[in-house]
Amino acid sequence: MAQYKRSGGIIAITLAATTGLTACGFGGSGGEASGDGTTLDLLVPSYSDATQGLWEDVIAGFEEANPDVKVNLQVESWDNLESVIATKIQGGDAPDIYNGGPFAGFADDELLYPVEDVTSDETYADFQPTFLGNAQVGDTAYGLPWIASARALFVNDALLEEAGAEVPATWDELLESAKQVSELGGGVAGYGMPLGSEEAQAEAAVWLWGGGGSFGDAEAITVDTPENLEGAEYIKKVIDEGATQADAGATDRSPLFDIFVQGKIGMQVGLPPSVGQIESDNPDLEYSIHPIPTKDGSPFTLGVADHLMAFQNDGDKQEAITSFFDYLYSADVYVPWVQAEGFLPTTVSGSEALADEEALAPFLEVLPDAQFYPSTNPDWAAADSAFKALFGQLDSDKSAKDVLAEIQEQVDAG
Amino acid sequence: MKDLLKAVPWIGPAVALIATVVLFPVGLMFWNSTRDISQSGVDDGGVGLANFATVVGFQYFWPILGRTVVWVVVVVACTLIGSLALAALLNKAFPGRRLVRMAVIVPWASSVVMTTLVVHYGLEPYFGIINSFLVDVGLIDTPEGYGWTRHPGTAFAWAMVVAVFVSLPFTTYTILAGLQTVPGETVEAARIDGAGGVRTYFSVVLPQLRGAVSVAVLINIINVFNSLPILKVMTGSIPGYDADTVMTMIFKYMQNQRQIDLASALSVIAFLVVIGIVAIYVRVVRPLEEV
Repeated sequence: MAQYKRSGGIIAITLAATTGLTACGFGGSGGEASGDGTTLDLLVPSYSDATQGLWEDVIAGFEEANPDVKVNLQVESWDNLESVIATKIQGGDAPDIYNGGPFAGFADDELLYPVEDVTSDETYADFQPTFLGNAQVGDTAYGLPWIASARALFVNDALLEEAGAEVPATWDELLESAKQVSELGGGVAGYGMPLGSEEAQAEAAVWLWGGGGSFGDAEAITVDTPENLEGAEYIKKVIDEGATQADAGATDRSPLFDIFVQGKIGMQVGLPPSVGQIESDNPDLEYSIHPIPTKDGSPFTLGVADHLMAFQNDGDKQEAITSFFDYLYSADVYVPWVQAEGFLPTTVSGSEALADEEALAPFLEVLPDAQFYPSTNPDWAAADSAFKALFGQLDSDKSAKDVLAEIQEQVDAG
Repeated sequence: MKDLLKAVPWIGPAVALIATVVLFPVGLMFWNSTRDISQSGVDDGGVGLANFATVVGFQYFWPILGRTVVWVVVVVACTLIGSLALAALLNKAFPGRRLVRMAVIVPWASSVVMTTLVVHYGLEPYFGIINSFLVDVGLIDTPEGYGWTRHPGTAFAWAMVVAVFVSLPFTTYTILAGLQTVPGETVEAARIDGAGGVRTYFSVVLPQLRGAVSVAVLINIINVFNSLPILKVMTGSIPGYDADTVMTMIFKYMQNQRQIDLASALSVIAFLVVIGIVAIYVRVVRPLEEV
């Protein structure tokens, strides 16, 4: 019995000691450099199953060229990314380089290096001006445009032909064609409308902006406006007239696109990587890619750019970060990365290198008409989550006006 | 006092452990609930009880709290009734009993998220196996099936089904253990007095299960109240707040709106509610007393 007690005590002490040590890590700065070298902590999201391998290749190449700098890689899923970064910042353990979407909140809290301070002049000048303009807070760019994507309408040619429908350019034509396809029956839906929490803000932008609306600018987020209401009411109309799949309000984008790939949906808005998905999952699908229909047929696409950010932390790693970015954005490293993930490049040299890439052509074509989320507005993150949580209510008894008002209210409170 | 000093080397590590992994996070939660924390996690100073006012003032707060109560009561009640029946069955000798007893453990041994995802995919329109089945036997007219997880009511009901399913094993085994402490003599005596099976169960066996049942219920209440993953998976894609409980609301504050301060305030409220329920329960039922 005494023996038992003693070993129990030892176990308890060991436990207490280890948990105590872990607890100490809470306020520490973590990841300090050993010896003369500098260590860069890199926190990135996973775009696909290949992401981790792509980053590992980049890091291996970089460390070979810069033996005195070590890079620690941490890959998180998009779902967790934002809570991971918030927890790290709160714990005083921010990464040095972070790959994410919204950056204005961090810039507002004065946590980031301006882009000019962590890139060479050549790298800075190589960014496409539209993307760099979209990465500014005030007159200073804080986010390095990393990868871009644009949206376009994916059309199942076989279904449209069977239904005798035309590829639409305006909302009215879209509604007409979608209804014709829906009438085929057998579980086929005319238009795939994903208003579920996954990416409701994207489908919202496709419709609201396509009708002449906007989500506001760097100064103010404006959701509840007459221009936006027009798009929201048209969404309700498309749903009510049975032109979409069932339960549009709670359908997430990725699972719905799987259904499109299976050939059960007439039309859905997709992304550059969607091309690769169809290629690998159902290469026999007869489809084509067209510009997104708008109210009056004028060209428009929703552009999205993800950004890299450099956190200041102790302020002693600026040089190492600069050399990492210069290496990363050199065309030989950057272009294969973007290409492997199926996105669009944000640099001039990158676009030139990919100019003759056939699958990307329909997207590169619409890119000049791209409009972006007002992501430089610190309130955009709140608006983004308000859209995710509330926009799907268009598919309910609630009026379009009330839904927009509720989103606006949550943004203003956020 | 001297005894206490003597005991320190023995209880010290345990106390230190509790302090670091239980008391410290709880303290931090209370602290965060009174701060104004920016979206990127920077602490912008204290705001007193303003976060609590915001949380309680949210127009869906009371419906969410009410739904939480329904969630706990229905899941725990169904679990208890199912477990009593299962335990009574497993207490009888029959061929293959060992295998059946093993089978009952399976939902316990597998990950809750995995179990929920299996059901969730089964309920998907177009390719879900449950939907396909219901379409094939003619219970659903639409060829792609019904969006069970796309409507607050049905999604919540299915979440309850999964919650009962994963709570059954623990409760069944707790009650089964209780059944084996019921002396055979009492049952025999009831038989001799002429009581039938039903009468014997409700008047003789069930009262002797009081200890086991009340402990099982107490632990289930806490577990079910704090359950996030099932509801998160089942109702996650539904817009608005018509399928939320306190736990999923905390998660929405934290993950979607990134308002750690509000999430902490609601966590504090949830913490106090659980403590309140447990206190009342312990007072009324006295589960830890000898029968």
